[in-house]
Amino acid sequence: MGLQAGVQNLPFIPVLGLIGSDYLKYRPDLKMVKDPYTGNEYVAYPPIIPDVSLIHGYKGDRFGGLTTHAYREDRLLAMAAKVTIAVVEELLEPDEVVPGLYEIYISPLHVDAIVVAPGGAHPTACPGKYETDFKHLDEYVAASKDEASFQEYLEKYVLSVKDQEEYLKKVGFEHYGN
Amino acid sequence: METNINPFEMMIGGLSRLLNDEEWVGCGTLSPIPASAILLAKHTHAPNLMPFIYGDLSLRITEGHAESFALFQRGKFDVFFLSGVQIGQNGHVNLSVIGDYRKPKVRFPGGAGSNMVYSCSKRTLLFAPMHTKRFLVKEVDFKNATAFEEGEPVPWRKGGPSHLVSPLCIMKYDKDKRVLVLDSLMPGVSLDQVIENTGFDLGIDDREIPTYNPISEEELRILRTEVSKEVSTVYPDFAKQMWG
Repeated sequence: MGLQAGVQNLPFIPVLGLIGSDYLKYRPDLKMVKDPYTGNEYVAYPPIIPDVSLIHGYKGDRFGGLTTHAYREDRLLAMAAKVTIAVVEELLEPDEVVPGLYEIYISPLHVDAIVVAPGGAHPTACPGKYETDFKHLDEYVAASKDEASFQEYLEKYVLSVKDQEEYLKKVGFEHYGN
Repeated sequence: METNINPFEMMIGGLSRLLNDEEWVGCGTLSPIPASAILLAKHTHAPNLMPFIYGDLSLRITEGHAESFALFQRGKFDVFFLSGVQIGQNGHVNLSVIGDYRKPKVRFPGGAGSNMVYSCSKRTLLFAPMHTKRFLVKEVDFKNATAFEEGEPVPWRKGGPSHLVSPLCIMKYDKDKRVLVLDSLMPGVSLDQVIENTGFDLGIDDREIPTYNPISEEELRILRTEVSKEVSTVYPDFAKQMWG
């Protein structure tokens, strides 16, 4: 709901819920607001306006239009953020950026940059294209236990890698036959 | 009768029978047991049930959680399934922390829209994949989703908990006393076993607690064939673990 307030640039949004929950004890940013029409009390939620939204989609064009998965809130994230960077699996002509099954379209009006990176969601999934790489995620989680091992992870998979292609080779990503 | 029935299959059967034909029934992410129950009901006694299994691509949507929450807020759903990291005697559900909120022993992803969904659905079926004293507690460490309001009900409240199903038993929610009360035992489970593993008084008094068989041979057959195939498209790991 905060994201929806962000999308519309509203100062807050009243929500159904949260009254009676323990959130109100710990979240000073949640305040009560009175409905001017009925007098009923609601919890007001502040807008979420990300400085940057990073989203991952399927098809994109060089003007910023793209398609993403319908089960995500990528369009809201793009519309609420100050800056939106979209990563796509493939770059096409604008009139070819048409949502496939389970995809939706996001207008270039909400997108500041398109990055073309096949396999760019790895190690998470790009549903329909490739699944989550759980083996790699396990490695990531294990590495994140302390600073030194995480630095090693970063060195191995990020800092020492020259481009996306080399990264995909290194992690053994096979979808695009690299 | 088939004797080798997994406790989760018992739960699926028990939950399925609590659904009615024509109802709109929803379950969220990480809910393979409810998803199976919804599909089993649809294949047996509730062919016209409207299933909303989050992540099931056979139902096409357009705006992710924002869209599903909108449907709940507009009161479209008859039934929702809810679980968490603790469920309290009074039906409140914790999805956030074990221990003190500011210094938790374990922190979880949080409540998502569970508070709204719990009050906006006409009734909610609670499910407890593990029946332990640590899970079924007198008071939850943190209230995310609340079964009722202390004072006046909020204007958008349509319902609350109706039952809780676990591997050991089925509980009913007593709306007057606002507590979960033991209703029946799963086959092969003793009353003592339930009492020992529950963190609150089960309101048994002098009642004889019956054993209830929640799944017939025919339901089990359908679950293991048609339903398992459909579940595997949304929850492949669960289906594999359950049915190979």
